[in-house]
Amino acid sequence: MAILEIRHVSKFFGGLSANSDVSFELEQGMIMGLIGPNGAGKTTLFNCITGYYPPSKGEVVFNGKTMNGLQPDKVCKLGMARTWQKVRPLAKMSVVDNVMVGALCRTNSLKVAREMAMEQVRVVRLEHRTDFLAGGLPIGERKKLEVARVLATQPKLLLLDEVMGGLNPAESEEIIRLILDIRTLGITQMVIEHDMKAIMRISDRIVVLSSGEKLAEGSPDEIVNNPDVVAAYLGSE
Amino acid sequence: MNIFIQSLISGILIGGVYALIGIGLTIIFGVMRVINFAHGDLLMLGMYGTYYLFTLFNIDPFMSIIITIPLMFLYGGFLQKFFINRVLGSLPQNQILLTIGMGLVMSNVVMLAFTSDYKILSTTYSSSSFSIMGISVSTPLVISFVITAAITAALYWFLLKTDTGQAIRATAQDREAAQLMGINVKRMSIIAFGLGSALAGTAGALISPTYYIFPQVGSIFTLKAFVITVLGGMGSIVGATLGGVLIGIAESIGGVYFGSGWKEVVVFVLFLLVLLFKPAGLMGKSNT
Amino acid sequence: MKFPLNTNTGRGNLTIIFSLAIVALLFMVPTYVQNTYALHIMILIFVNIVMGSSWNILGGYTGQYSVGHSAYFGMGAYTTMILMQFRQIPPWYGVWAGMLAALVIALIIGSICFRLRGPYFVLASIAVAEIFRVSALNLKNITNGAEGILITEIPPLTINGSVITDFSSKVPFYYTGLVFVLIVILVTWLIQHSKLGYFFQAIREDQDAAHSLGISLTLYKNTALGISAVLTSLSGSLYALYVGFIDPSTVLSLELSVSIVLICIIGGIGTIFGPIIGALVLVPLSEALRSNMIGQSLISSGLVRAESPFGTFLTENLSHAHVLIYGVLVVVVILFMPDGVLGFFKALSAKKHKEAA
Repeated sequence: MAILEIRHVSKFFGGLSANSDVSFELEQGMIMGLIGPNGAGKTTLFNCITGYYPPSKGEVVFNGKTMNGLQPDKVCKLGMARTWQKVRPLAKMSVVDNVMVGALCRTNSLKVAREMAMEQVRVVRLEHRTDFLAGGLPIGERKKLEVARVLATQPKLLLLDEVMGGLNPAESEEIIRLILDIRTLGITQMVIEHDMKAIMRISDRIVVLSSGEKLAEGSPDEIVNNPDVVAAYLGSE
Repeated sequence: MNIFIQSLISGILIGGVYALIGIGLTIIFGVMRVINFAHGDLLMLGMYGTYYLFTLFNIDPFMSIIITIPLMFLYGGFLQKFFINRVLGSLPQNQILLTIGMGLVMSNVVMLAFTSDYKILSTTYSSSSFSIMGISVSTPLVISFVITAAITAALYWFLLKTDTGQAIRATAQDREAAQLMGINVKRMSIIAFGLGSALAGTAGALISPTYYIFPQVGSIFTLKAFVITVLGGMGSIVGATLGGVLIGIAESIGGVYFGSGWKEVVVFVLFLLVLLFKPAGLMGKSNT
Repeated sequence: MKFPLNTNTGRGNLTIIFSLAIVALLFMVPTYVQNTYALHIMILIFVNIVMGSSWNILGGYTGQYSVGHSAYFGMGAYTTMILMQFRQIPPWYGVWAGMLAALVIALIIGSICFRLRGPYFVLASIAVAEIFRVSALNLKNITNGAEGILITEIPPLTINGSVITDFSSKVPFYYTGLVFVLIVILVTWLIQHSKLGYFFQAIREDQDAAHSLGISLTLYKNTALGISAVLTSLSGSLYALYVGFIDPSTVLSLELSVSIVLICIIGGIGTIFGPIIGALVLVPLSEALRSNMIGQSLISSGLVRAESPFGTFLTENLSHAHVLIYGVLVVVVILFMPDGVLGFFKALSAKKHKEAA
């Protein structure tokens, strides 16, 4: 059962076509890698999917429901959550308060929210930072915080935008472990990443975007051996 | 119909001065991304300076801009260097509050020094007018429009043809890129604020024969300056020029048809409409 | 690396006990203190605390810096005064009408202005307040225009025929002010310890992130504004009844809007005690200037001769200088203490902790 269908999605900014007729599907429970050279339109697609702005053409269908034009808060409440390429911690609030904001999407009780939040804080191994202000965290921990926060919203589909960007190998390894753990919870994930080794390890399927268009789709092996994909990456250097 | 044309003409004439105010503000915003809430008070200082140059030394207000321009430029540079520079990286709200505070200080120092009595600068030609094709136009307004046009032309030449002018435009377009190209952006900020202040002060000088002069006169002009720059597009000099004339016309015609007490409301309502429907303005690039 | 500026942890039982003790003392003040001037200062402080704390809910917690809050203050003031003077409706009903009016215009203003961000929001809020001020000047049939409205008499408060209080002394205003302060602080505390507080602060910290976490920006920004406007109108109504005279230049001015913001930024935005500290600093300062206390005391202490040019300057002009001082304070606070007095001291003690650790 397809949990997410992207049907001929295009996004134009003035004369610039950032996404052009992109179509693919996500099956429930899978991890989909979304790759492509810089400027290929990956984050733009995320923004269209999550309601940050509506697609210019095409449809986004989540669990059978058309999402076009829905505001981001409604999208989150329906079960689709995203992290940001440039992390957005709620700087003057503590780590646990940050995650509680996510949890409060699902409960009105501060007590319950705190319990839910602490659970996610433990999942991402940030208990030692529970009461620290998010603004003071180093980048690796900020990324983990963002994941914890978004997990607290109890998503069915999680969109991760370059969640490993700027991390050292040890930190990246932690995130990979996290993503695989999230899959065991039954949460579907779409991951934008530049780290090819990581993508190969975690993805069930990969979609390749280039210059706003879908260039290729397939299993990791198929993609790595696809000459068009190789050319797109080499050509963009 | 005659009344309409008359108010149209005087709207255009005063619009020229408004354009000066707007251009000054938009340069400051363009280069420094600062919303200068003391802009109208800079204009007020120009008015008072002109008033005293006239009453104490008998210098004609239009001639005195030769003195006003450099003085206000230096004053603006001073303000930028010692005050505004410190908040360039802060939240825009803090910047606005700082400039609001500075404006309050300026207008209240003037009030303490010169009292809040309304002052009137009467020259021999203050209330004279002449007729073109049956339309009566105010002489001082025409003179100020001509001077404004000249200053605006000089400004365009400066920005398009000189090195410094182009550096300012580069900084306004992309501060970081400009810095990478070797442009001293701090110096550009000082020049920009100096320029903006000089233009505001000059506008004050130009309208001093036709407006009441009092310490609080600045705040109304500040708000108008914002309407003009938002209408024209923050950072766009052409936009501010057009915006100034449009606001002058709107105000003039609005005043005739709704009564002079509601003039300001017309301008504010326009402001809100622009903010809502086309916040980038007529010419503007995207807002911050 | 630990930052102490955590706005959400409670301050501990000691603070609560201390605060309750102070409140009890405040309730007893009019019984023991007969000095009407002292009561006058306290009443003004209360009004300012309510003004600042109300703004704080929108500006400090939700991060929407309105510099047009005089619109709500003036709405409360004018509604209460108009109903009382022109329709003989007693102020205990008029105050409610004022709150309702403020709520309505707040929702209208919110629907217009909340689409805008940062500085554009500030500008729009100023423009809206100016529209109100100019309208009040022009709609003379309703508001008396620039002449303003003067109270002739506040009817005594009676329940079942027996008089609870008349309004000839300052005491009923004192208690009303104190109660309003307690209401506002209670509301702030409730917000801070509820889902609202979390969502408001999330919006302040990062609007887009908050949106993507399921927070409806429209709903919560307007909620913050609504609460803020209603409470601000309370302070406007109280001010109007106490001072006895209002006109557009006092209750709808940009100057007033700036001073409302100033109360918060002096004390420390986004905290419960910040506006209290701000009011405690601003009110005595501006009263001292207004009543020429500073000038008089400088002269009577012998430091300045009364006949000297400086002396005459002081006696004649210093009373007008309170707005100047506002301006100077704003500049100083923004440049050197952007987190307000509270933030400044917290940062100092943080440094001390760091060194001790």
